[in-house]
Amino acid sequence: MPRIACLFVPDLPVAAACRADPGLAGLPLVLTERDGAHAPVVAASPAARARGIRPGRHTVAQARAAEAALVVRLRDAAAERSAAGALAEVAASLASRVEPMPDGTVFLDASGAVHLVGSEAGLAAALVARAARVGLAARVGVGASMTVARLAAVHGDGAEVVPAGTERGFLAALPLACLDAPPDVAATLARWGIHRLGDLARLPEAEVGTRLGAAGAALVRAARGEDARPLAPRALEAAVEEACALEYALDTLEPLLFVLRGLVERALARLGLAGVGGARLGVGLGLDDGSRDAREVVLAAPTRDAKTILTCLRSALEARPPRAAVERVALTVVPDRVRAMQLGLFTPPGPAPERLATTLAQLAALCGPERVGAPVVVDTHRPGAAAVAPFAVPPPAPPAPPPAGAVCPLVIRALRPPRPVEVFADRDVPAFVRGPGFAGRVVHAAGPWRVVGEWWSDAPLARDYWDLELSDGGIYRCYRELGGAGRWLADGVYD
Amino acid sequence: MSSAAALLDRLGRPGGLRLGTAHAAGAERLPTGLAPLDAVLGGGLPRGRIAELVGPPSAGRTGLACAMAAAATRAGETIAWVDPADALDPEGAAGAGVVLDRTLWIRPHRPGDERRAAELVLRAGGFGLVVLDLDERASREPPDTAAVSRLARAAEGTRTTLLVVAPRPAAGSFAALRLAVEAARVRWSGGPGRLVVLDGVEAAVRVVRSRVGRPAEARVVRQAGA
Repeated sequence: MPRIACLFVPDLPVAAACRADPGLAGLPLVLTERDGAHAPVVAASPAARARGIRPGRHTVAQARAAEAALVVRLRDAAAERSAAGALAEVAASLASRVEPMPDGTVFLDASGAVHLVGSEAGLAAALVARAARVGLAARVGVGASMTVARLAAVHGDGAEVVPAGTERGFLAALPLACLDAPPDVAATLARWGIHRLGDLARLPEAEVGTRLGAAGAALVRAARGEDARPLAPRALEAAVEEACALEYALDTLEPLLFVLRGLVERALARLGLAGVGGARLGVGLGLDDGSRDAREVVLAAPTRDAKTILTCLRSALEARPPRAAVERVALTVVPDRVRAMQLGLFTPPGPAPERLATTLAQLAALCGPERVGAPVVVDTHRPGAAAVAPFAVPPPAPPAPPPAGAVCPLVIRALRPPRPVEVFADRDVPAFVRGPGFAGRVVHAAGPWRVVGEWWSDAPLARDYWDLELSDGGIYRCYRELGGAGRWLADGVYD
Repeated sequence: MSSAAALLDRLGRPGGLRLGTAHAAGAERLPTGLAPLDAVLGGGLPRGRIAELVGPPSAGRTGLACAMAAAATRAGETIAWVDPADALDPEGAAGAGVVLDRTLWIRPHRPGDERRAAELVLRAGGFGLVVLDLDERASREPPDTAAVSRLARAAEGTRTTLLVVAPRPAAGSFAALRLAVEAARVRWSGGPGRLVVLDGVEAAVRVVRSRVGRPAEARVVRQAGA
């Protein structure tokens, strides 16, 4: 016998609007699909419903007459998609077989999830708690079929579990209206005196089908808790998208970052369900000139730190501000596992992986991602070549302390880019050098060492290198370019 | 000395100061990998403190810093090299024995960012050594006392040594240890009519300030191509 759980958010458009703007929670709020006093109300919050405002029945003007402090917002499809996605991720955090429905309701295979939380009641409570973490007040029902689970979620106590074998008893008391029967079928059934699901379930399906057609037979099966089809699990997208439309266009950075903070926090709450961090960000901005600004921000390491991500976003937006005011904002976060590390018993403790990831992201935001990483020796004959690779602490290795001695290497301190210098030569041997910040008589000179290479590339290398000790005490590595003007440059200091 | 103080001395106390002694002791050390230097420093650079390595160009401060980084990374430590001048030569560092995989190289490009980057790394924790390599330009500015104080606080209580490498003192009184490097003699091989090659530099390292030991001097030979 399958066990199905249903995750349901009443009035999802209103819940999505309140999730995008928590300040709306508790207010008499109605949603419309267009501006104007005569626009019909398509969704209403519980506070608005309490004033008698009904979606589909009233216009904005009528609703305002019922409630002077009414808050009217345009329906935000992007925010609803985000909320529905968040709800699906809540289900996916506890079950591997999940089916999100177009109306935002999510079904999941409870039989595969109960072992994680101990019982079906525990599963229902866990789903409600996790939905609250992503900003949604969800209701949960668990039953033997999708129909039972859905009705339990909608009409139960918020975390309703219908034990196996008691489905008919649970359904019997529910009103017929909860099955959303076609109006003509519902009217006929009402004439027959059928007002409860229990009454309908007792009727022979074939006879009802003969009189009311396929819709009637389907209603009888639903009243008995039978599904028209089994659960059809669907894989969820890995990337998390949070989006919202703005009430008015934003033309300065700080308010935009304030909006982004909300999106980032909600996206991170969703990532937190799966225990992953954000590795790459996609920011899509709808501009008031009708164009769209899209950009990608790659984080140095996966992180769940909102401050770090906001710092990266600020840097990206400051570096290339949008060309017009922003009307819509969409944030896509591509998740990746936050790196874990096994500590060694006999090795020094390294940085904690998640803390390191956050620090790398902060450093990348401060200096630029291309300026943070592990140094790499480049496979080239070009002196002073350098590159960086993404930094990740290697696994602990047995310590290999070098034998302590009194000799250490003489290393080059690179001058990037090489500094042009004036060299006065005596019989082709440098005798005096003057460069930016240094000048002196050459005390000792060693060279020339000819370096020729990369002649096949756009930047061929043909230089005569000299090691020059100057009277100011500095030992410089200088070279003269072969060909062209024969410029002298200094590209390093022995230090 | 009271029995309570004697007990605290035996067990150790925060700050590592022992009652009745003139100098701090018990501070954990990060070996420099250079025997003469470790001998005068009492085992190496103090962890959780700021150490400074100052000297003019070609005196050898970068080579000494590389030797210390090599010793740390080969002992399994993770290190960071904050390099606003973009002066680190990865090939030279690898030749000096630095394990590049264990080195986080940060190249800030705006003035002041180098101290902020060092602070971020210190606050991340887990790094054995953070080298803040200030060039002539960065160290020419008067020390930003507030920034250095933040760095000292960030390093305090951790097992990270912040090694400030600069042409002139940049950490002021916040430095627990200051080493001055001076080139004593440049060695050239060859001579007239023969191939001349830079052979090495002999350097003197003096402990000019120490809150964790006594002033002293060590001689270190730096050898080209070593």
